[in-house]
Amino acid sequence: MSYDMTQTNIFRGLAGMVLPLLLLLPLPAGAEVAQDAREPLTVKLTTTVNHDHLYIDAFYHGGTVSVRGESEPGTDLIIKISAAEGDVSLKRKGKVGGLLWMNVGDLHFSQVPGLYLLKSSKNIAEMMKPEEAERHVLGYDALGRHLVVEPAATESEKEEIVGQFIQFQEQHNLYAQQTGEIEFADENGKRIYRTVFAWPFQAKPGDYAVDVYEVKDGQVVAAAQSAVKVEQAGTVKYLAGLARNNGAIYGIFSIIVALVSGFGAGAIFRKQGGAH
Amino acid sequence: MYLYLPVALTSINALMPMGLGFAVGLLSGLFGVGGGFLMTPLLIMMGIPATVAAATDSNQIVAASTSGTYAHWKLGNVDFKMGLYLLAGSLLGGGLGVQLIKVLKAMGNADFVIQITYVVMLGGVGGYMFCESLAQLRKGKGEQADAPAPARDSGMKKFLASLPLQTEFSRSGVTHSSLIPLLLGAFVGVLAAIMGVGGGFLMVPVMVYMLRMPMHAVVGTSLFLVLFTCIEVTFLQAYTNHTVDFILAVLLLVGSVIGAQIGTIFGRKLKGDQLKILLAVIVLAVTVKIVFDLTLTPDLLLSQGGGH
Repeated sequence: MSYDMTQTNIFRGLAGMVLPLLLLLPLPAGAEVAQDAREPLTVKLTTTVNHDHLYIDAFYHGGTVSVRGESEPGTDLIIKISAAEGDVSLKRKGKVGGLLWMNVGDLHFSQVPGLYLLKSSKNIAEMMKPEEAERHVLGYDALGRHLVVEPAATESEKEEIVGQFIQFQEQHNLYAQQTGEIEFADENGKRIYRTVFAWPFQAKPGDYAVDVYEVKDGQVVAAAQSAVKVEQAGTVKYLAGLARNNGAIYGIFSIIVALVSGFGAGAIFRKQGGAH
Repeated sequence: MYLYLPVALTSINALMPMGLGFAVGLLSGLFGVGGGFLMTPLLIMMGIPATVAAATDSNQIVAASTSGTYAHWKLGNVDFKMGLYLLAGSLLGGGLGVQLIKVLKAMGNADFVIQITYVVMLGGVGGYMFCESLAQLRKGKGEQADAPAPARDSGMKKFLASLPLQTEFSRSGVTHSSLIPLLLGAFVGVLAAIMGVGGGFLMVPVMVYMLRMPMHAVVGTSLFLVLFTCIEVTFLQAYTNHTVDFILAVLLLVGSVIGAQIGTIFGRKLKGDQLKILLAVIVLAVTVKIVFDLTLTPDLLLSQGGGH
């Protein structure tokens, strides 16, 4: 994350708690905000996530995560759910001999969020300048410039590869960007926002950050953070652990089950069929 | 009903792998092939990562080929002696093939060689089997279709007969030098390792045309071989790559063990040449599909690694 605030770290420590979390984060030093004294913010941005702890059990098929909170009237909102950044390697296809499409090499992507779900109340390009979007990695354009690709010879080549990469992640339901999916309501004079994210079952176990940004006059004026934790449970947790930590036993067990089923089917059919 | 797969890290409708397992199990029982060349790409299409698809498929084949070997053994179709010679050869060949892949990867054109080998072998084997069994069906009208084809090249026959260690393989009704199945097994092993497949679709024509075994003995013996190869692959994948998904394997094998039994029953009702021509059609269809994949512009120029 681009904020270097101690609250963020404290917050991450709290991420494991089952209680819905609520956190108020004013901008650091409020430099830009303070200078723009025309309209000081009176209401602070808040955010709460329901279903913030997802358990992957044997019948898990994804879920929903709803985000709500209070925001300053007259501002736009961007809500981003993302995973910690990591590296990804993919094969790149190209034409060989002018005829055949084949893998022609590896592409290494770094600073890649494993999940990137974003909703904004308005088109991000209309809300702010590209530099401001890049500062907080808001939207596909900013994300594209944030990603590092190797090897990419030219800027235009990188752009093309990154576009393909985002499409690749979208196909696996790991990246999504939507405009206008945030609802606003007036409750007791407060402006309440709410939205629901479809949580993809492809998202791996781990901690996810929910960041809400309040935008006014082309600037991010406030931000709040919450979290979603995804964890394996029950049989899924047991089998995944065994596969990872006890490969030999897991392999032998899998083979024995296969052999027994094969013989079992043979024995059943022999009894039933009988006619040789 | 959706089930979550703990190693593939994805969720799947349980009926899909069960149905797929059944279909591929049928092919195993009918033709003596593992069916990896069909199963792995279909699993990838269902959203399973390529490495997990290949490893889990080999676990599933252990079940299907046990079921099939058992059914064929009851019918007297498994030549264990021939099977063990071929197995020894293919294990040696497999080791050699793995080294060859390393060399190719170091040279940087492994993918090209793998793809071309795949297309040429599938196309060649499928085309030859198709033409040959079509000619047999037309000529023989089926009366002696299951008998070994007469050796055409008598010079070759003399040379083969002059080799040492002549052994009778009574189940298959053939006599060969022990070196022949060892060498042919090694040949298939090398190719299978390069292509990253079990090699059943190569072993079947080798046994039919080079070892001159009757088709029904070929199917049973091939399944016996596939069983051992896949036990080895499953263990290595689980131990070194942690890519075997137990839940997915169980869903697949529930379908495939039943499919293999039913395939064996159907196989008994078909003649050897009818079986050959059906297998040839399937192999050719897969070849055509791969050729399309290679020549049509893909939607995305990125893909996951580790398909082989």
